[in-house]
Amino acid sequence: MIVVKDVHKRYMTDKGPGKWVLQGVSLSIPANTNVGLVGKNGSGKSTLLRLIGGVDQPTRGVVERNCRVSWPMGFGGGLQGSLTGRQNAKFVCRIHGHEHDIPERLVYIQEFAEIGDAFDEPIKNYSSGMRSRLQFALSLAFDFDVYISDEVTAAGDAAFRRKALNAFKELAGRAGLIMVSHGEGILKQFCTAGIWLDNGQAHWFDDIDDALKAYKSSQTV
Amino acid sequence: MELDRSPISITFSVWKALFLRESVHRLFSSRAAWAWLLLEPMVHVAFLMFIFGVIRLRVVGGIDTAVWIMVGMLAFFMFRRTGTQAMNAVGSNQALFTYRQVKPVDTVLSRAALEGFLMVLVAVALCTGAGLVGLEVIPMDPLAVLEAFFGLWLLGLGFGLVTSVAQQLVPELGKFVSLLMTPLYFLSGVIFPIYLVPQPFRDWLLLNPVAHGLEAVRLGFAPHYQAVPELSIGYVYVFALTAIFFGLALHVRFATRLAAK
Repeated sequence: MIVVKDVHKRYMTDKGPGKWVLQGVSLSIPANTNVGLVGKNGSGKSTLLRLIGGVDQPTRGVVERNCRVSWPMGFGGGLQGSLTGRQNAKFVCRIHGHEHDIPERLVYIQEFAEIGDAFDEPIKNYSSGMRSRLQFALSLAFDFDVYISDEVTAAGDAAFRRKALNAFKELAGRAGLIMVSHGEGILKQFCTAGIWLDNGQAHWFDDIDDALKAYKSSQTV
Repeated sequence: MELDRSPISITFSVWKALFLRESVHRLFSSRAAWAWLLLEPMVHVAFLMFIFGVIRLRVVGGIDTAVWIMVGMLAFFMFRRTGTQAMNAVGSNQALFTYRQVKPVDTVLSRAALEGFLMVLVAVALCTGAGLVGLEVIPMDPLAVLEAFFGLWLLGLGFGLVTSVAQQLVPELGKFVSLLMTPLYFLSGVIFPIYLVPQPFRDWLLLNPVAHGLEAVRLGFAPHYQAVPELSIGYVYVFALTAIFFGLALHVRFATRLAAK
């Protein structure tokens, strides 16, 4: 169960505080529910996702997570360019309390990412595809109750995308999922409930179809 | 994943991970990055010894000029490197706050620990080298030297804790603090002996705790050294612990502001 209480968010710009992105969002997301976030570009989908994932802090309000929530999958901010893929993966294992089984996790990550010897190369030499492979493998290597994903299935080449999609299906079966996607098919495939973000407000729909309908009708006007 | 990790065990695993990560980055990020750690104080010391050689000053306060400079320089670097590295820790590790386990204060603490550790290695290496060319580098009172070095490290930590928050809240302050470091280098008595400064100016200089720390380290190396009579190692520790307390309080107060973008 994730509870979002009256969350406001605006970013600091070079010229002082910017516009409000979220204004008073209140939600509670039940456990083991797959939720899709919809809304037009700039409506605050990624911002809300980052707040739920704890990557960023709300300007006002609170986010309560009573379960283990992943960092946004495929988010690469935490990777250090001068370190190798292996060193970065070790770091993530350590802070998640997996000091004792680092070797097994590393094997899993290396195999899933399929980047071969590049695993021992500094990350700054990676292509963007290799990077997203590593990031995706990293998020899958740990067990969370709720996974957060921001357009993650769009990463990598066709073969990897297929593999990622399969892993994702397996994930959706055993854990909760909160995802942002512009692909209607993907949302319908994975999500049961939906959240529509509009003008800094969030609207909850028990059925993802209703959320998509509301979102579309707002666009045609 | 262990389901119930206590907050303290999470913090310890984060510290360990950060320490290892920082050390790999600091020592091996570029070609022979570790060599620069040694080279910077070495070049400083060599240059100053050249200058003092030209003006033919062989003895300062009763001890060999070379030892006097080297020891003071190492002590000052202990403070400055710890301080500046810790100050920039939050800014340069911003991306790591993606992982909720990592708090801004963790990055400051682990950087300060790493820098203190590296400075001890640098000091040992430099002293060994100086010993090989025939200088008297065996401290007569090793405990006093350690006490003073540790005090300077604590000062650096306190400085870093306070400035890391200040710099994030008001970015301009970071530049101001960097400007302050050069005058501090002179005011701490790294390259001139403070006991030569007449009163009342000496009292003003001795408001600076780093100057006390430097004199204490030199006194530990050679007990016959004519340190300033007002020297107080207690002042260093009180100043440092106050700064650390204040810095930690700032980190608690602004924890969310620091991690937010």
